[in-house]
Amino acid sequence: MLRPERMRRLLIAAPKSELDTIIRELYRHNVYHIEDFVPESSPGALSIGHPLPEASDAASALIKVRAIENACGIDPENVEVKAKLPASKVREMIRKDLPVIQKETEDLVGSRSKLEARQKEHEQRARELEPFTAVPLDLEFYRGYTRFTVFTGHIAHDVEIDVPNEKYFSDKVAGNIIVVVVQNEHREQVERTLLDAGFQAIPVPEETGAPADRLKAHLEEARRIEGEVAAINGKIAGIREKHTDFLVACDELLTADVERAEAPLRFATTEETFLTEGWIPERIFEEVKEALVRVTGGKIYLEELEIEHSDAVPVKYDNPSFARPSQMFMDLYSRPQYAEIDPTLMVSIVFPIFFGMILGDVGYGLILLALSLGLRKFFKAGDGRLLLISLRNASIVSIIFGVLYSEIIGYSLPWAPIIYSRHLNIGGHAAEHGAQVAELLIVSIWIGILHITLGRILGMINARNLYHGKHATQAILSNAGWLGVMWGIILMIWSMYAIPLMPDLSWLPAVVMGFNPATVVGAVLLVGGIIAIAQENVLEVIEIPTIISHVLSYARLAAVGLSSVAIAMVVNYIAIELMISPQLENLSAVGVVIIIVGIIVFLLGHVLNTALGILGGGLNSIRLHYVEFFTKFYKGGGKRYNPFGMESKFTEE
Amino acid sequence: MVDVGTTLEMVQASQVGLKAVGAGLAVGLAGVGTGLGEMGIGAAAVGATAENRDMFGLALLFTVIPETIVIFGLVVALLLLF
Repeated sequence: MLRPERMRRLLIAAPKSELDTIIRELYRHNVYHIEDFVPESSPGALSIGHPLPEASDAASALIKVRAIENACGIDPENVEVKAKLPASKVREMIRKDLPVIQKETEDLVGSRSKLEARQKEHEQRARELEPFTAVPLDLEFYRGYTRFTVFTGHIAHDVEIDVPNEKYFSDKVAGNIIVVVVQNEHREQVERTLLDAGFQAIPVPEETGAPADRLKAHLEEARRIEGEVAAINGKIAGIREKHTDFLVACDELLTADVERAEAPLRFATTEETFLTEGWIPERIFEEVKEALVRVTGGKIYLEELEIEHSDAVPVKYDNPSFARPSQMFMDLYSRPQYAEIDPTLMVSIVFPIFFGMILGDVGYGLILLALSLGLRKFFKAGDGRLLLISLRNASIVSIIFGVLYSEIIGYSLPWAPIIYSRHLNIGGHAAEHGAQVAELLIVSIWIGILHITLGRILGMINARNLYHGKHATQAILSNAGWLGVMWGIILMIWSMYAIPLMPDLSWLPAVVMGFNPATVVGAVLLVGGIIAIAQENVLEVIEIPTIISHVLSYARLAAVGLSSVAIAMVVNYIAIELMISPQLENLSAVGVVIIIVGIIVFLLGHVLNTALGILGGGLNSIRLHYVEFFTKFYKGGGKRYNPFGMESKFTEE
Repeated sequence: MVDVGTTLEMVQASQVGLKAVGAGLAVGLAGVGTGLGEMGIGAAAVGATAENRDMFGLALLFTVIPETIVIFGLVVALLLLF
């Protein structure tokens, strides 16, 4: 549970005639993590295998299926499984139905893109025509003159032209439009005048008739084509409706075919035989071995290889089901190495507690719970789903802490806080006790001390598992040294100051040089700890101040939570007490508006605070794990266990 | 230099006010410090993550290291106020 699943290393050697059978059997079990074969260049060495003959057929069929899925907007990840189709039936349908569906989809997509191109063209024409609608002149009269030049374009303002001309200016369209007709000999002079006024020429569309009519015609055409496109989209949606189940089944079956057919590329081969190495989880190792012998009729050589210290063993998590969503947090950071402790279980327990301590509000907890349950529709699988489950657990714990703190969106529940109160004095009415800030901070420091102590102890266990000989002893001692320095400092503080909720050792009689025994023990631990740290690596000594900053960092459990309480209470105070209640007492027309504004402030404020609650609660809790907890023991960098095979969702043999 | 017009109440009130100012400065300045710290780290972290998706965990870790400063500010502010 606290370690990744145990693995065994298997070598398979068999004649090439058994290749297909063995690949099928391994694929069916879906447990064999293949170690890719890397060929050497020396002569006579083993060479990489060739894909099975059906590889190219399966691959091209798969491309077709993926293309159809793409066109119809089907994502196999998000398709719900209705019934599993038998593989033989799917193969039959791939031969008969797939080409038909493909043709149909291709035609539809083809005509849709043609229509869309035409629609764009009409829209473009309409845009070009738009400026000319301001000029009461048919389009054919703009061109075809031998002795006159026509200027058309946008201009900043109307201009006076000091040669004989015909001119029309309009500011009814964006950018204004000016049309000037002059004799050819005045052309350059007029052009200069126009350019001085910011003239930008626009070409006259190659059409005839009144611009406004043409514009209308083009827009109507574009709208008509849009309708046709919508009809085609409807047909494509029909295909999706009808064939989704079949298409995802094809996708799955063909993906499996391709993966199987390409497996020999990861094997080593000689003329007549092939070799492959891989990893199988210990609990089914023997079962798979027996199955392989059975299907090949004994024409196979199997050998379990020793796991060497330098081997990168693939890491498969081995956690109880409630802890599985937290594996996502682990993968986000780094997967554990095979030999080290897998802290997923601890994260899955401690993360929701931290989150709940920070948020600790029945109202926000219920909102987040509803959110995490409601969003499940949109995340059917993958990391998003795991995140939602983590959020759900965290919000349940938030509700529990909300009951303990007696908080609901910044108001108090009908009972006094069962643990320390976070009811701040906002708006002038203090609750019975007011917030017990100091106590909350000290409790969170306590949590920090214990969490870090746990981390260091795990560090010692990991050092024993990961290293050997002298190095292991050094690493264990150094971890003990860090613990010694931390507890030494704590003991010395206790022996000098009386702190609420912490042991008070300041009353002890002085023994040496005016210091009491606790101070002396603390100092010894501190010095011994520093020596123990330095014996592994002298440079580590400069990291010692992080002990204090890491422990104090846990104060965020109280501090971030209090700031979220403060925001909630301030929002309530502004919205309810300053805006809504005074107006409700003597209602007036203006009062109703103020009440509505008050409601908006209330809603916006609490939405913002909910978002801050997720960020503050989630990020700070996970950060306490990543930065303060994991740095004490966790190495990470393990290889992901990626078995050869597939969980079939849509098909069955 | 005691102003003749200053009463005990005014002194007490201004003490409370100065405490609040101090608390505000503690959070605000600590926030500025954190921001300055995270500025460079964040930019580099985003770059590294864009290059290699696996860096995300480590990048997030580096980015949030200066967060502690603002928490210290918040703790000091809370202790000042309560």
